[in-house]
This record gives sequence, structure tokens and C-alpha cells, in this order.
Amino acid sequence: MSVERHELFEGDVGAYLLGALEQVEERRFEDHLQECPVCEEEVERLRPAVQALPRSVWPMKPPDSLKASLMASVEVDVREREGRRRTRPLAWISERARRASAAVLDVGPRAAWVAASVILLLGIASGAAGLYALDGVTSSEEPRPPASRVIQAKVDKTRVPFGSGSLVVPALLEDGAVLRVHGLRPLEEGSVYQVWVRRKGEAISQSLFTVGEDGEGAAAVADDLEGADAVLVTREPAGGAKAPGEQAILRVPL
Amino acid sequence: MRRADEIENLADEEVMRLVQEGNPRAFKLLYDRHGGASFSLAYRMVGDRVNAEDISQEAFLSIWRSRARYQPDRGSVRTWVLGIVHHRAIDALRRNLVHDKRRASAEGIEERHEAPERERTDVEAARREEARHVRDAIGELPDEQTRVIELAYFGGFSHSQIADMLEMPVGTVKGRMRLGLEKLRKGLREKVG
Repeated sequence: MSVERHELFEGDVGAYLLGALEQVEERRFEDHLQECPVCEEEVERLRPAVQALPRSVWPMKPPDSLKASLMASVEVDVREREGRRRTRPLAWISERARRASAAVLDVGPRAAWVAASVILLLGIASGAAGLYALDGVTSSEEPRPPASRVIQAKVDKTRVPFGSGSLVVPALLEDGAVLRVHGLRPLEEGSVYQVWVRRKGEAISQSLFTVGEDGEGAAAVADDLEGADAVLVTREPAGGAKAPGEQAILRVPL
Repeated sequence: MRRADEIENLADEEVMRLVQEGNPRAFKLLYDRHGGASFSLAYRMVGDRVNAEDISQEAFLSIWRSRARYQPDRGSVRTWVLGIVHHRAIDALRRNLVHDKRRASAEGIEERHEAPERERTDVEAARREEARHVRDAIGELPDEQTRVIELAYFGGFSHSQIADMLEMPVGTVKGRMRLGLEKLRKGLREKVG
């Protein structure tokens, strides 16, 4: 590496660490770092100063809805992962049966799948009990986490003809839930969707949300749902209302 | 599977190892430990709770979904988490979703405060003490160095935007950034030492 080339970049160290280079400059600087131990050392030497900056911020309490929403998403991921795991044994048996039938019967791939289906159907009757027992063993060794509840929403189709929604109540949380909606119209500027929990006839505001161009959105319900009879969604002025300004367009019965 | 109270006592790096294995309880603990600092940083950068919440959510979901990327030899979990939040906030600022140049002025980036949380635990008290310590070190920098560092780090402005804003050459801005970081590094070391 030439001295001239190093001099071109050495002034960028601070801006690079602070994230203040333009994208192209940043890529060029990172390429230079690969070949310049002097700049690399300088970056590492000054890095602790940049890493200290976020620690200067006064700590604030995040809203409870943030944790509720995050953990609901995590739980959905965990459920999906478990769902994929559970379908694997059948896929594995199916694939083994296809290979076995192709080998034994010496047939092409299409015929092998037909033969495999027959073998699989015959095998399911005798194997189901075994699989069930195997599942039982797994369950006793590692208890399944309690399941979250998913409650479908009832939608006023006269006002939101393509709308749908569901409330995910995660089992990992003591309270809180996440409302997911689909097919809602993006509102004009100055309006938002507002989520309410209705308890003994009183609607308590939970959160505000908007939907994207695809009509999809999500919102947190931070309150304990104990004793509540419904989660509601209304359309309100930006900033939200103190009480619902219209009949709910979407209602999740509890 | 570890019991919840066993996880509670683990160091961050151990908790992160469990998160990498896909353990949701460990992830919840990770959030409990660093969610406050993350939200605070995002709020400091974008200046409103709704966007700060969105940024924190995106950052933690990316941590959960790309959890394999944490490398203990590259720094503490806290530094790693805050780095991700910072990147997300910069992205949001640069997408112009929340960039409000009125917040930035020749005086620097306006820091918005909410009523401070009461210190309920030793951890919260320690976080405040840490914040005071770093703020003292920043306070010892010359104003012109503090200004460019804050505009870049908390405001998400590039060096050329800062040069325009402060009506000075780009080279001067870059130089002040580097000198400021150098002085801050020394200041922090002296306070620790």
C-alpha cells in the first residue's frame, strides 16, 4: 500500500466511526482498511470512544406495548419452527419410501412417487401408533411451551369489505396481545386506526396504528385482557381520541 | 431446558448463547436488560416515542432472527445491541421518515427529555451513573467538537451535510470529529483510571 493512498483515507477515520461517511465513501474506506494496518489500528483505538456515546443517554422506560409486541412475534417464530420440525418425520418417511420404491421396483421418478404413496399409506396404519408414542416420549423429556391463543376478528364488511384480523395472545406473557390486520385501507393524512379494550362497557385506548399500501398492520394491546369482553378498532383523528368516535370496524370477541 | 431463575443469573454472553440457540426466555431477558437503553438511544436520535418504539422493535427482531451473528470476541452484548439500534435509527433518519432538520442547528442536536425515571433498582442507578460519567467526559470537549460528533452520531447527518449546516469545509468537520473522539477516549480512560 502506498503512503499517498493512506493519506487519502486517514482523515476519514473519525467520520467512519461516527457513521458520517456517504455509502460509497464508507465502502471505499472499508476496502482500504483491509490493506492498511495503520488505519485499522487507529479505528480500533478510537472505537471505544464511539461505543461510549450511546451510554451517555439518560435511561427511559420503554412502553410496555413494545415488549408485548416483540414477544408475540418471537412466539410466532417459535411456533412456526416447531411446526416445521413436526412435519419433518413424515417428509423423511415419504422421501425414504420414494427412494426405496425406486430402488426396489427400478422405476422412474413419477412412478416412484406413486409407489411411495402406496407404501406410505400402508405404513401409516402400522406406523402411526409408533410415531404417536415417539412424540409422547419427546413430550415427557421436554415439555411443550403453553400455546398462544389466536382469536379471529369480526369485521364490519359494509365499511371494510376486504378487512380481516386476528388477536394473538402469547402464552409467554402475563398480559398483553398483538392485533394483526389485513386488507384495511390506508387512511388519509390526519387519521389513524385506534385500538381499544372494552371492559364493562367502557372502551380503554391501547394504541394507534396505520397500515401500509398492502393493507397490513399490527398493533399492541398492552392491557391485561382479564375481564375484558372485546378488542375494538375504530378510525380516529391523528393523535387518537379519548373515546371511540364511531362503531368499531373490527371487533375481536374475548 | 434451563429454568427461568437459572437464566436470570447468567452473564449477558451466556444469555446471548441461549438466544443463539433460539431460546425465547433468554431473548426476553436480553430485552429486559437492554430494551431500556435501546429505546432511550432511539428516542434520543429520532425525538419521538412512536418512531423510537418502531426502531427498537425492528432492532430486537433483527437480533432474534439473525442471532447467529453475535461474536463475543468483537465486544460486549450491550455494545452490539446498541450498535444495531444505532444503525436502524440512522437508516430511519436517512430514509427521511423522521429526519427533521429543524431539530439540528448550529448549536447541535436538541436533546429531548421526558420526566426522568425514578431509580428503582441498583441497575437503574448504575445506568444513570454511567450516563453521568460519559456525559462528563463529553462535557470536557470543546463545543465545536461536541457539535460535529453529536450531529453525526445522534443526528445521523453525513460529514458533508454537517459541513453545509455549519458552513465550514468538509476537511474541518472530519478533523474535529477525529480530534473529538481522541479527546473523548483519553477523557474516559482518565475517569476510569
